Order: sequence, then structure tokens, then C-alpha cells
Amino acid sequence: MNFVQKVLARASGRASVEPGEVVVAEVDRILLHDLSGYLTARVFEEEVGRPMRYPDRVVMVFDHHFSPPTEERARVLQENRRFARRHGIRLFDCGSGNIHHVAVGHGLVLPGAVVVGSDSHTPVHGTLGAFATGLGNYSHAALGMPFGKAWFRVPETVRIELRGETGPCVTARDVAQWLTGEIGEGGAIYAALELAGPYVEGLEVMDRWLLPLIAVDVGAKSAHVEPDARTDAFVRAVTDAPFEAVRGDGDNVAAVRRWDVSGLPPMVTCPPTVGNVRPVEEAAGAPVQWAELGGHGGGRIEDIRLAASVLRDRRVHPDVRFNIVPSSRAAFAQAAREGLVEALHEAGATWFPPSAGSNQAINMGALAADETMISTHARNFPGRNGSPEARMYLASALTVTASAVAGRVADPRELLA
Amino acid sequence: MTALTGRCWKFGDNVPTDAIVRSDLVFGSMSEMVAHALEHLNPRFPGEVRPGDVLVAGRHFGQSSGRAIAARVLKAAGVSCVVAETFARTFYRNGFEIGLPLLECPGVAALVEDGDVLGVDVASGEVVNETRGGRLRGRPTSPFLLEMLAAGGLIPLAARLAEEG
Repeated sequence: MNFVQKVLARASGRASVEPGEVVVAEVDRILLHDLSGYLTARVFEEEVGRPMRYPDRVVMVFDHHFSPPTEERARVLQENRRFARRHGIRLFDCGSGNIHHVAVGHGLVLPGAVVVGSDSHTPVHGTLGAFATGLGNYSHAALGMPFGKAWFRVPETVRIELRGETGPCVTARDVAQWLTGEIGEGGAIYAALELAGPYVEGLEVMDRWLLPLIAVDVGAKSAHVEPDARTDAFVRAVTDAPFEAVRGDGDNVAAVRRWDVSGLPPMVTCPPTVGNVRPVEEAAGAPVQWAELGGHGGGRIEDIRLAASVLRDRRVHPDVRFNIVPSSRAAFAQAAREGLVEALHEAGATWFPPSAGSNQAINMGALAADETMISTHARNFPGRNGSPEARMYLASALTVTASAVAGRVADPRELLA
Repeated sequence: MTALTGRCWKFGDNVPTDAIVRSDLVFGSMSEMVAHALEHLNPRFPGEVRPGDVLVAGRHFGQSSGRAIAARVLKAAGVSCVVAETFARTFYRNGFEIGLPLLECPGVAALVEDGDVLGVDVASGEVVNETRGGRLRGRPTSPFLLEMLAAGGLIPLAARLAEEG
């Protein structure tokens, strides 16, 4: 059996499962954020009306709001807090960080686990060798909360093998964006992506993280990296909870796709969709007024360090607002210990609280029709951040910061090489 | 139950949930969300969609957010069924879980123009263009999902399965 078959067979109490079969499996973790969590809570209490079976498996993180901007949102968050208290589920309140970083940082995701969530980027937890996927609120409210289960069609596995070494200023984020363009939006519908090969194995866990993150945007159900010694060390650093890691037998792979990442340039995802990925030189020159490190694809301590390396002897362009949104309190604390908070502040950047940042402009990041943002966010669909006319580019921390310095989409190699 | 006929609204590839329901409206009333549904892609849609209409789309319909609210908005707008080349998988789950029939039918975008009348059988996968002729067979829907649809969605299905042990 492959990795996904093994995890789902174990979770559904069966000796084996086959791709295409529908199984009802035990879930180990349900991750909810303040938006979908609210919608899920309403369905659970108003339409389902059963007790919460395993409160310890359910976690809610307020990450779209670091603080409520309106009375309506304050009410939503209060209702979420009351929901969490009523059912005894764990709540991480405003300012905790991005849902997925909070979950892994607190040891709430383990290798071999079944992890589901309301956020569509939940597959990112496959980085740790979990089977992780996003489900709608009815899945959580009708099966997850009252029975501790979820239904799945067992997906086919597509193995993505990456080899080669990237050049200067080309990060795992550039590779992830490039791969999104290669596979294409909807190019891997229903598949489980197995990210493998020497390039992936050679990355630190939090750089591998950026690859499974793309699963949803190429239509995949899940994505994973088979756990190895690096995974083990990463998990052991945050929790002593027991786990049983799973690796596939190398069989039952529907397709293998191989790429060499050597020679890739920095990549920029251009408006209007996540599949419009170009080498940076094709996008360079477009004026930007907003730059942001944050969201699912950024705000890690690694991103903050990259930004600081660009801004060491430089300043943010006077026409640009450069916002930094740490992915977790731990990332901010580490940045402070390394002196990066002050350094980036003095260089003209603005620090925001740990959160999902400008994701859908819930509490920051709305754009006027004639404004442009470049960010490490995961998505750039028109209308997500204020005006549908506004333009959003996605890039690595290096390219975002280089663009914040230049006041236009810029190639970081021109600054740093 | 699974066979229906309706007038078509046709959309392109990769329609995101953000276009079906605006992110800034998800805490608003259902009627407000319906009043803006898909307006960015077709300004006539919210005002002119009628109960029983069928939505036809290209590849990867309903990508982006996994919120079931997007499927609920289409159902509340009166859409009887969505037929697409392919669906984003969370939208596909959400449709059946809230009782909105969906059919995956490669080739449907070329079979249908806006306003055509389409017959759809979600169980068998059969699609017939009653305005200009032509038929296709989409992917038959899994028995588990047909059972969910017949039960009225995942909540009643889960309750029944729990009672049955």
C-alpha cells in the first residue's frame, strides 16, 4: 500500500483500502479558524444538535482577526469563544498566529495522523507525514464533531520527484510557485501528491512546508512528504506525544512526474490567478504600493531573516508600505531575540500581530482599485483584498522585500548578487 | 429525484468560491449573499436566476475556500444542479453534503450555451441539450453520494447511520 492507503486503512480500522473507495475514518485533529469555525459552530449547534464527542481533538485558532475591526466581528469572536468554552475545545485567541503554524508549533499535528480542517490549505500538514485535507463545515459539524469521523474517497497518489539545486535567491517558495504553474490550477484534481526526491529531502521541514501548501490550488486532495529523520527531530522538538510514522511501500502510485529545479529563476505569480506564474523578469517593473510578509506562504522566522538580509543596508521605498506579519508568537519572539524586529522597523517596515495577515482583507490589507500588492500570501484572486480591480502578485520573501525596496516588482538577484 | 431539467447559466474555468460569495459578505444574510452571487462574472446572474436553473461550468469549479456557504448560496439562489467539466474537491463534497446535486461531465462546456435548456440525470450521468440537441454521459455519481443526496444531505445521513450503528 502507499502512504495514503496505509494511513486511511489504519484510521478506518481496515486491513487495506483501495483508491476510489469511500471510507469513514477516525480523525485525530480538526482545525478550525475564526471564519469557518463560526460557520461550522452554527451548523453544529443549530442543525446537528448532538454532543461534541472528542473535544480534545478540536482546535480553534483566531487568525483572520488579530483584533476585531467592527462590532459585528467582535460579536462573531465572542460567539466563537463561548462555543469553545461550552464544548471544551482548545482555543488560541487573537494574536496567536496563523492557524497552521500554531497547530504544528504546539505539537498538535503528528506523523501518521488524520488531520482535517476548515481551511483549504490544511493539506500543508502533510509536511509532517500526516494525511491532511480540507473539508467543508458540514463534514466537521455532521461527522467530525459528533462522531470523531470523516468520509473520504481514497485518492490516487501522484508522486512528484524534484531533483537538482537551486541558484542564488531562489527559495523553496519560488519552487512551490513554479510547481503550481507546471501542474496548473486543477491539474491534480482529487490526487494525493507525494513530494519526494533529493531536492525535497534536502530541505529543512519548514521549507518543505511550502510545497504541500500548494495542494489545494492545483486541485489536489492532500499532499505529503514521507517522514524521515528531519521530520522526527522537528516533531520531537515540540512535543513528546507518541506517534507511529507511516511510509508507503513504493507501490500503487498512479503517476510519477519528475522535474529538475536547477536553473530556475525567482518566480512571481501574477494577477489574476495562482496559476499565472512567471519568471521574475517578466513581471519586474510593475509599481507596487504594498508589500507583505505573511499569510500561509510567509511570516516564518526564515522569511523574516530573508527580509532582514535584503534590508541590512537598505530602506523600504518611500511609496511602499511594507508590512510584516509573523506566522506565530514564536516566530516574532525569535525575530526579537535576533535583533530583527528593531532592524526591520528601522528600515521602514511595519510589524503586525501574528495572524493570517491580509488574507481576504478581514482585518487588514484592503486595496483600492488602482493599488498593487506583492506578498508571500497563498492566493491572488480578484476581489479577495478590497477592489476586484486591485492587482496582487505573490512571491518569495526575498522577492517581496526586494520589491518593497525598489517600489516595483524587482528581481532580488539584482540587489543581492 | 436525480433527474431534472433547467435553463443554463454558463461560466468558465477555475471559478473561485470568492466569486460565488464575496468574502466580506460571509457573515451577512443569505439574501444579501444571493443578491451578489457570481455578479463579478455575470452581473445579470443574481437578478435573473430562477428556481430550477442549471449552472454549467468549465474545469475546477468552486476552487479556493472550502466553505460550504458557496454551495448553499447557489442552492438558495434556486440553482437545481451544477454540471462542470470538473469540480474543486471541497466544493464537490460541500454540494452533496448540503443537498445540491452536482455532475462531473467532461465536454459539457462545448455542449451548452447560455440559456439552453439542459436535462441532467445525476445518477446515470446523462446530460441532454434539449435546445440544440446533443448529449453526453458524465461520470456517474458514487452510490454513497447518491444516498447522501436522497437523505437530504450529510446531517440526516449521519444521523441515520448513527441510529443504524
